[in-house]
Amino acid sequence: MDLFLQRCFDGMFNGAIYASLALAIVMIYRSTGLLNFAQGEMAMMSGYIALVLLSAPGATGIGFSLRGTGWAEQWVPFHPWPTAIAILGAVVFGALLGAVIQRFIMRPLDGSDSTMSMVNVTIGLLIMLNGLTLWIWGPFARSFPSPFPSGKDDYLPVLGARLRYTTLGVWAVLFVVIAILGLLGHYTKTGLAFRAITSNRESASLVGVNTSRTLMIGWAAAAGIGALAASLVGGAIVLEPLTMMKMLIYALAAATIGGLDSPLGAIVGGLIVGLAQALAPGYLGIPTELTLLPPLGAMVLALVLRPHGLFGTVPVNRV
Amino acid sequence: MTEPTAAPARARSKLAFVGWLVLAALAVIPPLVASPLDLTKLSRLIVLVLAVLGVNLLTGYTGLISLGHGVFVGIGAFAMANFIDQGLSLYIAGLLATIFTGIVGVILGLPALRVRGLYLALITFGLALAFPPFARRLGKLTGGVTGRNVANDAFVPPAFLGLDDHVHIWRYASCLVVVALWFWLARNFVNSRVGRAMRTIRDNEPAAAAFGINIAKTKATVLAVSAAMTGTAGALQALLNPYVSHGDFDAFLSLRLYAAAVLGGLGTLIGAIFGVLALIIVPAVNGAIGLVDNEAVVFGAGLVLITFVAPGGLASLLRRRNGNTSAS
Repeated sequence: MDLFLQRCFDGMFNGAIYASLALAIVMIYRSTGLLNFAQGEMAMMSGYIALVLLSAPGATGIGFSLRGTGWAEQWVPFHPWPTAIAILGAVVFGALLGAVIQRFIMRPLDGSDSTMSMVNVTIGLLIMLNGLTLWIWGPFARSFPSPFPSGKDDYLPVLGARLRYTTLGVWAVLFVVIAILGLLGHYTKTGLAFRAITSNRESASLVGVNTSRTLMIGWAAAAGIGALAASLVGGAIVLEPLTMMKMLIYALAAATIGGLDSPLGAIVGGLIVGLAQALAPGYLGIPTELTLLPPLGAMVLALVLRPHGLFGTVPVNRV
Repeated sequence: MTEPTAAPARARSKLAFVGWLVLAALAVIPPLVASPLDLTKLSRLIVLVLAVLGVNLLTGYTGLISLGHGVFVGIGAFAMANFIDQGLSLYIAGLLATIFTGIVGVILGLPALRVRGLYLALITFGLALAFPPFARRLGKLTGGVTGRNVANDAFVPPAFLGLDDHVHIWRYASCLVVVALWFWLARNFVNSRVGRAMRTIRDNEPAAAAFGINIAKTKATVLAVSAAMTGTAGALQALLNPYVSHGDFDAFLSLRLYAAAVLGGLGTLIGAIFGVLALIIVPAVNGAIGLVDNEAVVFGAGLVLITFVAPGGLASLLRRRNGNTSAS
């Protein structure tokens, strides 16, 4: 029982990260019908920005800067920043990146309405951002400090298992994010506009909603959430140029299982994938390095049997 | 894809024939000027054309987005290595590896019969990511963590040709012949009844169903052919490179193949060649002007750019536009 509970707790940490990234993917899918394959790489760049902002010059382990130029030390005021502030900086960077990508790449493509050109562009962005990250920061794995107490004894004993503060922390952050999104969505004009676009884009623009501007804000918010996901991996997962590629597939699996247009589905899906990943090696005899398979299998199964996922809306096909 | 009327069609096919002839003539030059090492590199790129053509057949002609063709390259390569171990001749081993990959392609692609568009892209992307760790676990079949050698001692010119000192030329020519053969098969395939059904499915699936096209059967057929030719590419790759490892077939291979298919031009056979040319030219140009110390950046940017500038890929830039362009 302790072991089972412990594994569940371990899975919950990853689950929160997957859920956040899945939430970002779902936000964009809901409003534009586009699956952003570059979401993970956008998040990863932001994660590296957080590292640049928080790493003290010359510190070992995480000590590094923008290609060793000392750029960050020289130009960033009050550098190095405390972890939490650096993460905020990364979120701002991520949001800006998302807004720029929406404004200059996605918006001009809006009229084309072709699934394939959307896939091409996001795959292109994935390759490009990954290459850029590799070029700037090299192929090394960096350990990332957690903003929450992550020492050896920082846990809450629950029935003999250890519920770590980092796990509690990421879920708390996730719920705060959801609450903020909910408040923004229901009490601001932009939020209302975003919901209108989600429900029917054409009608929304007909009643005077500035769709381009609203979508840009939506992209910024989604990318910001992604950036948060990448910055919170600290303590458990090292950051390397391939990290987010794996994260992306888990997040995509989570989003698909939950239903690609359902934010609630993204959270539940993330939790399911995280738990499956933690429990499968112990109980199904699946070797650790193959933990990709259960979520992937679940995703395929979900797509084949229930393409709209657990909480998604059933699409209507008009010929 | 618009079907041109009869007269321009004949003129175009004549032009295409001349084009292929020029290409064949160009293929004679490298063995005369290139060093053995460069020739081997070139052979590898020529083999890559086949994999890009596989993506093109599925994505460009049938509209099924595949981000996982690197998996089929890997399966073909590992199958080849193991069939050779069984003491089979290269021809038989190559044929078996091709057929094997085709069958696996249909099995792996079964979900493709149900899901479309983005969802299929998702599944194939997942496959591409899952393949390397999976292959790593297969022990002796794949050489596990370190990879394994491929016995390519038999991949030498037959004695009566007297080419014993020019093994590389023989290998280059063999690859060229196999690729040309597949191109010929692919051309006939896309012009066949199934080929027309493929394009109808791509353009409008419900309409295709209404016309009485058996969607599942057509998709399964394309999957088999596409996977098989990609498997051949893998088999040849294994022979040229006589070493295969799970790391060679990571998700980036799949993404590069997809990118090459798009850059070259989806829905045209020649697009596969242009795509691989882009794979060569992009790093070369990048290296020459020293833009970024990472070719993937330029490559990804190229993929984004081409969607705006020429959605039909490089092939569409050369083709004369006759009213309706065939961007897919």
